[in-house]
Amino acid sequence: MQDGLVADIRDFTLHDGPGIRTTVFLKGCPLRCQWCHNPEMISCEPQCMRSPAGDRTVGRWYSAFDLASMLLSQAEILRASGGGVTFSGGEPLMQSQFVAEVIERIRPLHVVLDTSGYASPEVFRHVASLANLIYFDLKLIDPEEHRRYTDADNRVILENYRWLAASGIPFVARVPLVPGVTDTPQNLERIAETVCGSPNLQGVEFLPYNRAAGGKYAALSMEFRPAYDQKRALNLDFRAFAERGCRFRILGPSPAVPAEHSGDG
Amino acid sequence: MSESANSACETARAEVMFDTRRLDAMKKRARGREQKRYRTTPIPDLVSECDGEGLSWPRRAARLVCRMCESERPVIEPEERIVFTRTITSVPPVYTAEAWAERTAGRTLHELGPISNICADWGLVLNQGLLGRRQAAAEAQQRMSADEDAVEFLACAEETIDAVLALAARYEAEARRLGREDIADRLARVPAYPPRTLHEALQMLRLLHAVVWMGGHYHVGLGRFDQYMWPYLQADLASGRLDMAGAEELVAEFFISLNKDSDLYPGVQQGDNGQSLMLGGVRPDGSSGINELTYVVLRAALYTALIDPKINLRISRDTDLDLLRVASQLTRQGLGFPQYSNDDVVIPALVAHGYHLEDARNYTVAACWEFIIPGEGMEVVNIGAVSFPLAVDRAIRAGFAAGEGMDGVLERVRREVQMQAAAVAEPYRRLLLPPAPYYSIVMNGCLERGRDLSGGLRYNNFGIHGAAAANGADALAATEQFVFGDGSIRAEQLLQALDANFEGFEPVRMQLSNVAPKVGQNGAANKYLRFLYQCLAEACAALDGNGRGGHFRAGSGSAMYYVWLARGKPGDGEFPIGATAEGRRAGEFFSANLAPALNARVPGPISVLQSFATIDYNQVCNGGPITVELSDTVFRDTESLTKCAMLVRAFAQLGCQQLQLNTINADRLMEAKAHPEMHRNLIVRVWGWSGYFCELAPEYQDHVIARSLYLV
Repeated sequence: MQDGLVADIRDFTLHDGPGIRTTVFLKGCPLRCQWCHNPEMISCEPQCMRSPAGDRTVGRWYSAFDLASMLLSQAEILRASGGGVTFSGGEPLMQSQFVAEVIERIRPLHVVLDTSGYASPEVFRHVASLANLIYFDLKLIDPEEHRRYTDADNRVILENYRWLAASGIPFVARVPLVPGVTDTPQNLERIAETVCGSPNLQGVEFLPYNRAAGGKYAALSMEFRPAYDQKRALNLDFRAFAERGCRFRILGPSPAVPAEHSGDG
Repeated sequence: MSESANSACETARAEVMFDTRRLDAMKKRARGREQKRYRTTPIPDLVSECDGEGLSWPRRAARLVCRMCESERPVIEPEERIVFTRTITSVPPVYTAEAWAERTAGRTLHELGPISNICADWGLVLNQGLLGRRQAAAEAQQRMSADEDAVEFLACAEETIDAVLALAARYEAEARRLGREDIADRLARVPAYPPRTLHEALQMLRLLHAVVWMGGHYHVGLGRFDQYMWPYLQADLASGRLDMAGAEELVAEFFISLNKDSDLYPGVQQGDNGQSLMLGGVRPDGSSGINELTYVVLRAALYTALIDPKINLRISRDTDLDLLRVASQLTRQGLGFPQYSNDDVVIPALVAHGYHLEDARNYTVAACWEFIIPGEGMEVVNIGAVSFPLAVDRAIRAGFAAGEGMDGVLERVRREVQMQAAAVAEPYRRLLLPPAPYYSIVMNGCLERGRDLSGGLRYNNFGIHGAAAANGADALAATEQFVFGDGSIRAEQLLQALDANFEGFEPVRMQLSNVAPKVGQNGAANKYLRFLYQCLAEACAALDGNGRGGHFRAGSGSAMYYVWLARGKPGDGEFPIGATAEGRRAGEFFSANLAPALNARVPGPISVLQSFATIDYNQVCNGGPITVELSDTVFRDTESLTKCAMLVRAFAQLGCQQLQLNTINADRLMEAKAHPEMHRNLIVRVWGWSGYFCELAPEYQDHVIARSLYLV
């Protein structure tokens, strides 16, 4: 069994699923989203981050056994709060065999898979079936726009989405709100059309744009070049969801609106 | 939990229940320190009169309390319902400097000298009233008429009781003059007689507590407030005199009153005054002590949002999540409290250290975190600190020089810790505690035995801090891995790097700092953390008795030592230690209390708790909290607040001893440092206390900022 390359492990992550959770960030991502705020998780190789706080290598190899042992040492606390483990990244499905093996080893801990959905249908279906809850990212429905802002085709994402929506596996649709890109009325309308009505949809979560998104690029000798206006106010009109009776909420601090909403449903 | 407490849970989540307008104005004035304008009373001169009359030391101590009480000028503000405001700025000496030096020559005074950092049995004096205590003194005087010392002590105690009663009478007269009959009527009852209502009890406590400070004592704990005050609230609720909203308002006013004079109270830093108050936990019989007053206090503190009193909450692995959720709301305010203690761990540890089970179940904290039994402990809980980093540094150097392996180094650490503990203890074998006739009144058994508090109580232990354990353990873990393990750093190379303060050795420092295992990561450094505290516990046990009928308790607090052990005390020329093997440069702070080192990257609070859960707290029971700092974003929605409550429960489930949760936002701190005038109300907790950030010395501000950059 191949080892897995882990970018980071954080415990007590608040917005990664129910209860107290530990999140494993897998390194490597097939997408190149312009707004990526974790650029150190894009490359599939260990990398050095240089900052005034010192040099740091991002990316550590774990055997599935070692990672599972570490997670199991917290099992009692995670379970007692109704929590568990979340696999995120990067794109965890880029290391699907490793992730699947860790999940097998930490059963029956509650598992959330936080994915862009960009993986072969076989891989997606296999790992998704092992998880208790899926966080499925939906960014842009228009194929051209998607390619433009993420450098990737969204056909396989939508195919995986359709399978998930019919699979009976509970999932949350997560939409990063990028000003003028994903928050447009047209895109929100198309996302609402896509997700609303699926019986296993637990709700939609909007992630407000992180204004510190570009913060880590210099330390990685990377360039942050958003082709959108970061300062533009977000469109927070979610009527398309409310009208469809779709439950949704906005994560994290948002000065413009209260933190929690729900539609008529 | 009782039914009534369950109903309290429901109301606990509601907003403030009373009309706050009256208290809003009082709170504003306390924050603005407007009470300062009353402080015009001249400081009484005692030395000449004491010398003239040739008074003994106990007589002088009593005279001090009497003169302070006599000199106080009654202040009753228009909207106040709980009165007493101090008008004398400082406590005068009772001896000339020369006489004092002579009297104390060859002896050790603890800190400023007067008895401090303990907790009275407030329930005892509320139950009996001051006249009841006077009666106890009179009876003892008859019984012990042949014992001169006892007779003198008891006469002194009576003198102070009379002085406090006279002060109360003058306040009563002033209240009548102002037409404030309600206040006057309460003062006609208390503190002479036992209170009948919560309002009377709070008025009595306010006065008696304030007078302790007027005798020169400090770090005067408030003890288990929701236990000894509960009968009064219970009676009020039963009779319909008071509802929950009214109780909340009274408690809130009492809390505001504790902030009126607190800037006069001595402490190392502003805010370090030790007005600590304990909630929750079990009763002496083992049943749950959580009641409606527990919730009232939490809500009142939510409303007042002042640095006093500092709220502590005793919990266990079974504590109701609702209570923890209300407490987490308080954490959200960023006051740095409540601080949590785990009954499951603390009580057995106290029993293992010789405390009676009923007493152990009745524990509270003294001023910051040190466990003490109200009215039963004349303990000196902080006689000094062992520097773990220094012990490790010396052991590494000597072990390398002798060509020893890791086992040899560890054996040297053990001996170094023993030597340091012995050096801390040595001067305290000559400890001199000044007489404290007034404070003795509110302790259990002093009057009855005719013995001043300074002569000791049932428990007379000393506490020694084991400071900067995370740094020490990290240094050992790095040495093991790189020097004795993979050989990537040679022994002499490590020493050269340390001696050069890492100049020219940056890759070595990076490796030590970023690659080595750290406390807080729940990995290879854990065993050294446990080892260091085991060394301290063994060292304390080896010290045998402390000469006052007690022994030495090992503790995990650091107090100011995380600064002093790194940089020396103010005025010291040199740093006591240079660069250290965990990758810390000379002069950089150690971590405070039980927290990861400042250069440690940790996965989060769960790993931090897991790391510190490896300490054997049964051997380390002086107290000292794990300090976890949470970003304020943790508290922005109700779901996250619940998770914070779950984190607190996880602390108990993991078997940790004490926890302090801080809410900090680094940006705000840096802004506050640059523009203090805009952030006067920003409160942070640096170690066992909360203080106004802008009142802290710059180096403490820097520490808080540095710490918050590693928010977990």
